Amino acid sequence: MRPARIVVPETAKVGEIVEIKALIQHPMVTGHTAAGANTEPRDIIHTLTVTYDGAEIFRADFMPGIAANPYVAFTTVATVTGDIVFTWTDDKSEVTTAARTLRVP
Amino acid sequence: MKGWRTGLAIGLALAVWRSSPGLAEEASPSLHPATEYLSTGMKAEQADLARNRGMLWVDQGAALWRQAQGVAGKACADCHGEAEASMRGVAARYPAVDATSNRLLNLEGRINQCRTTRQQAQALAYESNELLGLTAFIAYQSRGLPVNVATGGPAQPYVEAGRKLWNERQGQLNLACAQCHEAKAGHKLRGDTISSGVGTGYPVYRLEWQGMGSLHRRLRACQLGVRAIQFDQGAPEYLALELYLASRAAGLPIETPALRR
Amino acid sequence: MRAARKSYSVAVPAAACANKRRTLAVGVLLGGLLLPGALKTAAAEQLAPFEIVGDAIPLALDGLPGDAERGRVIVLDRTGGNCLICHKVPVASEPFQGELGPDLAGVGGRLTAAQIRQRLVDQSRLDRATLMPPYYRVDNLTRVAAPFQGKPVLNAQQIEDVVAWLATLKDQERP
Repeated sequence: MRPARIVVPETAKVGEIVEIKALIQHPMVTGHTAAGANTEPRDIIHTLTVTYDGAEIFRADFMPGIAANPYVAFTTVATVTGDIVFTWTDDKSEVTTAARTLRVP
Repeated sequence: MKGWRTGLAIGLALAVWRSSPGLAEEASPSLHPATEYLSTGMKAEQADLARNRGMLWVDQGAALWRQAQGVAGKACADCHGEAEASMRGVAARYPAVDATSNRLLNLEGRINQCRTTRQQAQALAYESNELLGLTAFIAYQSRGLPVNVATGGPAQPYVEAGRKLWNERQGQLNLACAQCHEAKAGHKLRGDTISSGVGTGYPVYRLEWQGMGSLHRRLRACQLGVRAIQFDQGAPEYLALELYLASRAAGLPIETPALRR
Repeated sequence: MRAARKSYSVAVPAAACANKRRTLAVGVLLGGLLLPGALKTAAAEQLAPFEIVGDAIPLALDGLPGDAERGRVIVLDRTGGNCLICHKVPVASEPFQGELGPDLAGVGGRLTAAQIRQRLVDQSRLDRATLMPPYYRVDNLTRVAAPFQGKPVLNAQQIEDVVAWLATLKDQERP
């Protein structure tokens, strides 16, 4: 588990569009080797999935060109009170999950 | 007319005062927080705490603040309570001379002093995520507050030592900090804009590092650039320079965690 | 070749014998320094002697001919002269040129090759507060990092190459 940070509005009305932002601490080692440069094998987060109340609402495949500590933002439509769960998986199969509850009264 | 003359006199006095210590060939411009030199996009990224990558370290520091450490089994919070209240304004006063040891301590040094003497724990390594996190978390409690370090009394020799280093040419390229960061602040060094040399956002998230780093790490980068022997993080020379930078930056707001190129 | 010398101010004393002159010149250059003696000798072997005449060094270092094309490469190379960190040059393909030093467009028209050579070797002799690093000096420096100790930023050949290219920049206009 790596340090991660999700920002979601505390509450939203039914049908409201909400913005969700997330950061995770990860070096995103490209594995690319230039002369004299890093020779570490590639270790990037390759997949991010996000579920809302159990259903997948967002998925992203990350590429080696993405900077360290990747940031993601997207919008979704508030429907019911439920957990928004982020799952990041990297090349070493390390999985980080983090969640926030969106209340829809 | 009288007001104009007074203004001129004050202006001249300031110009003399500003230009007296340095090698600077031009009158020093007023100091600017480095954020002013960021692109619009980076400014927005720094201001939005949901996007500011430095907050990942602030969060780590917040967690460490509440974790029992060392033989004493005490957390920072056990003595200091809620950091939001007890640590507010603290970073704005550092580096400071520690009254008991009479040594100059920056925030990192103060944290490690607390760890070794109060918590009876190992000192945290410079540039470790733990020390960067705790330092950033504590400095974050002073975000927006003006830098206000003590420069008189026991601090004075340290300020003077820092000022000397600031104005001393060094390295194969034979440059003093002041030559670029006073006389040429705001000008372009290749694609970069030279800052006023105020360390008010540290620890910062620096794009070149793809991570968080301390002011001393940044100072090492400058010494590398002028091909000088680099001091170690935490070295007395850097501590004195850090205090001098803070004395120059008096009144500017703390910006931790800042974003830098 | 030194016919005109008497009319110039000579900063470095010249002796009749070339070898002796080299020793003397470097001795003066290194006088009163913090460098350890061993380093002085090492440096003495590397630096060519030169005469400063007014604000110029009339003779090529070690008598080497400069190559303008090589000089251009050194000026633009970030690991070589890295001149563009502070200067602009009339080379449109180079983005992000610095603005700390004078624009080098037209420098070959404003200054003679001898004056350019002096400014590269050690501009601080003309302007104590200059930002311009000394590119051909090893003395009177503080805390030089180990890989660079006792070495000038550029060697004599590189200085001559850079002088040769800069001397070709006669036109003030930028491409």
